Amino acid sequence: MAALKRVQQWATFARIWHVFDASWQNPFESAELLKKYLMGLHKPIYHPMNDCGDHVIVINSLDIALPGDEWKKRVYFHHTGYPGGATWTLAWDLHKKDPTLRRYTMERLHIFPDLNVPQSLMKNVSNQIRQIRPVPKRLDAYSEKEVKEFPKIIDLPKDYILR
Amino acid sequence: MVFTTAINCIRARGPDEFWRKRQIFRLAAHYLGRRRNCYSVTIKIVHRALVYATKGRHLRKEDMKSLHETRITAGCEQHNITFKDFKEGLARCDILLNRRSLADLAAWEPYSFKALTDIAKQRLDDDGLSRSK
Repeated sequence: MAALKRVQQWATFARIWHVFDASWQNPFESAELLKKYLMGLHKPIYHPMNDCGDHVIVINSLDIALPGDEWKKRVYFHHTGYPGGATWTLAWDLHKKDPTLRRYTMERLHIFPDLNVPQSLMKNVSNQIRQIRPVPKRLDAYSEKEVKEFPKIIDLPKDYILR
Repeated sequence: MVFTTAINCIRARGPDEFWRKRQIFRLAAHYLGRRRNCYSVTIKIVHRALVYATKGRHLRKEDMKSLHETRITAGCEQHNITFKDFKEGLARCDILLNRRSLADLAAWEPYSFKALTDIAKQRLDDDGLSRSK
């Protein structure tokens, strides 16, 4: 086998490491996106019985954004198997307990609540997956001067109470 | 009255019972237990298996089609074009390759596949069609 072909072969079957910034992203949409990389659906050599999925490192999983009032309304169910062992946990509660939650075994998905990723994993990364939606800039991220100089629509009355 | 024509074949039950059953048993040779030993059980299972085989011939074609589409979609994504646009562009250029050939090209001939996507993109641009993103 020629040297070029050999390298091409390695490059085809090598596992690539991707990094995905989950801050302000909808986890349900992100899952659809990341599924493609974890299963290897983005490779033309894909086959259901071919183990060609890539590794994905998800950072900032603490800052995910659920749509609407999903934090309050979405409920996760668990049953210990004993009578009366059923528990229902709300999404915000579960997220507070473990922001890196994964269901079942997804061995090639590595989730970290913040930017602190071990160097041994980070040195493998060769691609960054584009975020689905832009990260909004919060008011506290703007400087005092920028807020003051922002164009006003109306002048508030003197006795108007701002909270 | 003696019939001497083909009408006799309607009443004829084929070869001897032993050989008739043996035909069925041979189809069930790889089953286990009574499924391969008792004719009354075997005949049911074999009939079911033949039905599955008939359905499977159609399912296999569908499975292969979806697999080829997955592979072509993966190939198209690398060149920033959707599968739908790719098919449209090729059809407009009278390049009537089937899914299987396109999937083979995507996996084994990446440069040929890239040329095809370039053709499709150029054609869509020439015809003034906006590509979906």
